[in-house]
Parts: sequence; C-alpha cells; structure tokens
Amino acid sequence: MAYAAENPAVSPAAYANWGQRVGAYLIDYVPIFVLELIGIVSRNAIIWFVFILASLGWWIYNRCIQAGRTGQSLGKKTLHLRLLSEKTGEPIGAGMAFARDICHILDSLACYIGWLFPLWDAKRQTFADKIIGTVVIPE
Amino acid sequence: MVVLRRGYSVPEHVSLFAVGAASLGAVYPAVVAHTGWPGLPCPLRTLTGVPCPFCGMTTATVALSHGEWASAAAANPLVYLVAILVAGTVPVLLARTVGLAGGPRPWPAAKRRRVRWAMAVVVALSWLFQLHRFGFI
Repeated sequence: MAYAAENPAVSPAAYANWGQRVGAYLIDYVPIFVLELIGIVSRNAIIWFVFILASLGWWIYNRCIQAGRTGQSLGKKTLHLRLLSEKTGEPIGAGMAFARDICHILDSLACYIGWLFPLWDAKRQTFADKIIGTVVIPE
Repeated sequence: MVVLRRGYSVPEHVSLFAVGAASLGAVYPAVVAHTGWPGLPCPLRTLTGVPCPFCGMTTATVALSHGEWASAAAANPLVYLVAILVAGTVPVLLARTVGLAGGPRPWPAAKRRRVRWAMAVVVALSWLFQLHRFGFI
C-alpha cells in the first residue's frame, strides 16, 4: 500500500485520526511511566538507574525496533494502526523510527502544536511525520 | 477494536479537541491548586525566551472556561477564534449525530488553500501579539 504514490488524492479518513494516535501513544508510554515511577518511589539510586535503563530498553524495543520493522508498536497494534512510509507504503525500519521519535521534539517546540497537526492536516501527520515521510493508517 | 470509521471534518476534529480542552480548562485551576503542578511551559519560550504564536492558550482557555473574557483576550485572542469555531460546529455535529444532517463533504482545493493562507495570516498576527505581550516589540 503506497498511500501517497498510488493515491495522491486519498481522503484524510484513510489515515488514523488524532484520537487513535493519542491512544496508541499513551499505551506506548504507560510502561515507561510505570517503570520510571517504580524507580523513583524506590528511593534507591541503583534501582532507579536499573528501571531507567529498563524503560529505555522498552522504548527502543517497542517504539524503534517493533514500530520500525513491523509498523506496529504495542499501542498501534492494540488500536490496529500501522506506521508506514508515505512513499513506499512499507515499514520505515528501526533507524528511521528512532529518528522519528527524536523529531517529535520539534512537535513540542512551539507550545506542542506539532502534536495537534493531525487534527487538521490532510495526511494527519505531525511535524515528525512530515520530516521523516511517514503516515499512520488504520488497518 | 477501537477504530472510529465515521469521517469527521477538520472543523469537527478541532472543535471536539477544543471542547475537551475547555473541559480540562474548567478543572485546571483546581488541579494546579491541589497538586502544585506548574503546567506545561512552552519549550521555545523556556529555551530562548521568545514566545510562540500559541503561548497563552492554556491561560486563555482556562480564563474563557471561567467566563473571564478580558483575561482570555489578554492572554491569547486566538482562543476567541476557536470558541467561534466551536459555537458554529457543535450544532452541526449534534445534528449529524442525530441524523438531521448528512456527513461532511470535502471542500474544493481552492477553498482549502484560501483557509490555509488565512490561518497562516492569523498565526502570524498571533505571533506579533505574543511578541508585543512579552515586550519584544
């Protein structure tokens, strides 16, 4: 499914909407939040460090490797969404998934407005999606 | 499976978000007072000191949801534009929900282009307002 290549006039309804994307994002970050919370409440520097590493490991596995190789992090899999390259229609690979998450910093820069872009953007992309060239579609 | 198949128009999407934001704005002061949470600062202003066009929207939303019209305008007048959009869209949304109106139809490309330009001008004006508000101009 090469969305942009084969369907240049595809309707915004073909892409995951903002609510779905927020839901998937929250699901992805709940384990990270829980792991970091456990580390913080332990009040032990070593345990805290171990849990920080664990949350980092989960982020790399889930948001980079899984989302990059299959198009589906845990959140996207749960909500039946898929992250694809808008040019090829294929998953973008772990490296680009990592770069996309780094680019999310730009979504936050101006009062987090980039995170709201899927509300009105024709392809429902965030800034990070536009930079990396990705779309999120429902299955 | 949580998939919203119904097609919502852009104004509907923005309005639904704005209604959610206004609802949060109504309880926001209580949450801040209870938890001491300082809220989300604008990263651009935190890093550089320069405000972005959307600075003040949280303050404006909270003020508007408490009927403090002047405070809302002083923080960010964009909030009035969003409020007008909500006032115009919610009745249509309700009519569609109960089957009194059909689904949204896509706008012609020329109309979408005009709206995009108009929004770019509005955002530019908002930035000027914020730069003035924070003493840059």
